[in-house]
Amino acid sequence: MTLAREGCLTCGDVAVAARVVEVDGRDALVTVGGEPELDALVTVGGEPERVALDLVPDATPGDLLLCHAGIALERIEEER
Amino acid sequence: MRYVDEYRDPLLARALAAEIRGLVTSGESVRIMEICGGHTHAIYRHGLEELLPNEVELVHGPGCPVCVIPMGRVDDAIAIAETDGVTLATFGDMMRVPGGRGSLLEAAARGADVRMVYSPLDALELARRDPERHVCFLAIGFETTAPATAVTLLRARAEALPNFSVFCNHVLIEPPLRAILETPGLQVDAFVGPGHVSSVIGTEAYRFIPEEYGRPLVVSAFEPVDLLQSIAMLLRQRVDGRCEVENQYTRVVRPEGNWQALAAIEETMEVREDFEWRGLGVLERSGLRVRDALAAFDAECLFELPGARIEDPKACRCGEVLTGQIKPWECGVFGTACTPERPLGTCMVSSEGACAAFFSYGRLRRPREETPIGA
Repeated sequence: MTLAREGCLTCGDVAVAARVVEVDGRDALVTVGGEPELDALVTVGGEPERVALDLVPDATPGDLLLCHAGIALERIEEER
Repeated sequence: MRYVDEYRDPLLARALAAEIRGLVTSGESVRIMEICGGHTHAIYRHGLEELLPNEVELVHGPGCPVCVIPMGRVDDAIAIAETDGVTLATFGDMMRVPGGRGSLLEAAARGADVRMVYSPLDALELARRDPERHVCFLAIGFETTAPATAVTLLRARAEALPNFSVFCNHVLIEPPLRAILETPGLQVDAFVGPGHVSSVIGTEAYRFIPEEYGRPLVVSAFEPVDLLQSIAMLLRQRVDGRCEVENQYTRVVRPEGNWQALAAIEETMEVREDFEWRGLGVLERSGLRVRDALAAFDAECLFELPGARIEDPKACRCGEVLTGQIKPWECGVFGTACTPERPLGTCMVSSEGACAAFFSYGRLRRPREETPIGA
């Protein structure tokens, strides 16, 4: 139950990078594309997770999003 | 894996460690506070302190939202959870925080309906699915998490859900930083700024730290190479005689933050006159409450709450740990009366609390703080 070993996914300043697979209205289906220590928590069995796109409404499939507590907070720039 | 491997590259980490050694003068002392609990966790998990020269000391800050919730608010949440017909939903770590009447997990054992969720939107879904019950979401977190609660409130209002509310305990990052900066005898020379809070509020929000308090700050991402690079950037500022806000986490954080997230918070919440923080006391304008326009979704309007102030256990020194005055192991109950399984203080509850992070990863080797046998 506790996420103690690998960091508290939701309540700290922790967020997860996730790739948009499909946009579904105000939500997107995403798969996690970074932070492998959190993979097991968010993509059990490789099933995509649903995140709200209210704050990144123009996201499209293929975008990498910073997700926290079930919503996308920001788009991650892939070119540095 | 892309976007991870390059930030964990051992060669890059060693090069940065060498650069850091070149930026300090032998014998000087530089104390750097990482504000964010996620950074604390990463520092211990990856053993980053081992890579730093003795001249650089990392001090852990107040940025774990679970750790700063006072016991009285936990009791308020228990009172909501024990109301007939009510389901209380919250994040996992919050369920274990001890209040004056035990934790939410213990309330659940007594029969209260307490559910763990990963998102406030999951709590909203619980309310949709079970219209017979009232679902209250216990909201905690800094500016990183407040947007999720804001979006949830906006969706609840749009759907006119009659059986959903938020018990709002969101807090702001600036007031505790000011409190720490105004601590008499403060021994912090520089700050590593939180990455994801900054993705919402932007880097400009920290300008007061160099301008009013003369300390530099670098907003940092969370991988080992990121943190080492941020420390090197802070030391480089010292060497160059600069004191400013810099951004290491440019792949996500923008100077102005995310206006859509800030607008959602602004629309749904307002700043409280004051809010009690564990270890820091009552801080003015440091917490958020649900706006009056959304009173129908505000648990503080819907429920009778005890609202008591409860002193922390005397043996617990969370306050001093949270403000960087002592290290976790200097607390008398660390690892004995207070462990992750049975936490006395909040710093031991969440894995991002300094005590829990040190308990999990660091307690077996502490070469720099060796105590003589028998001392």
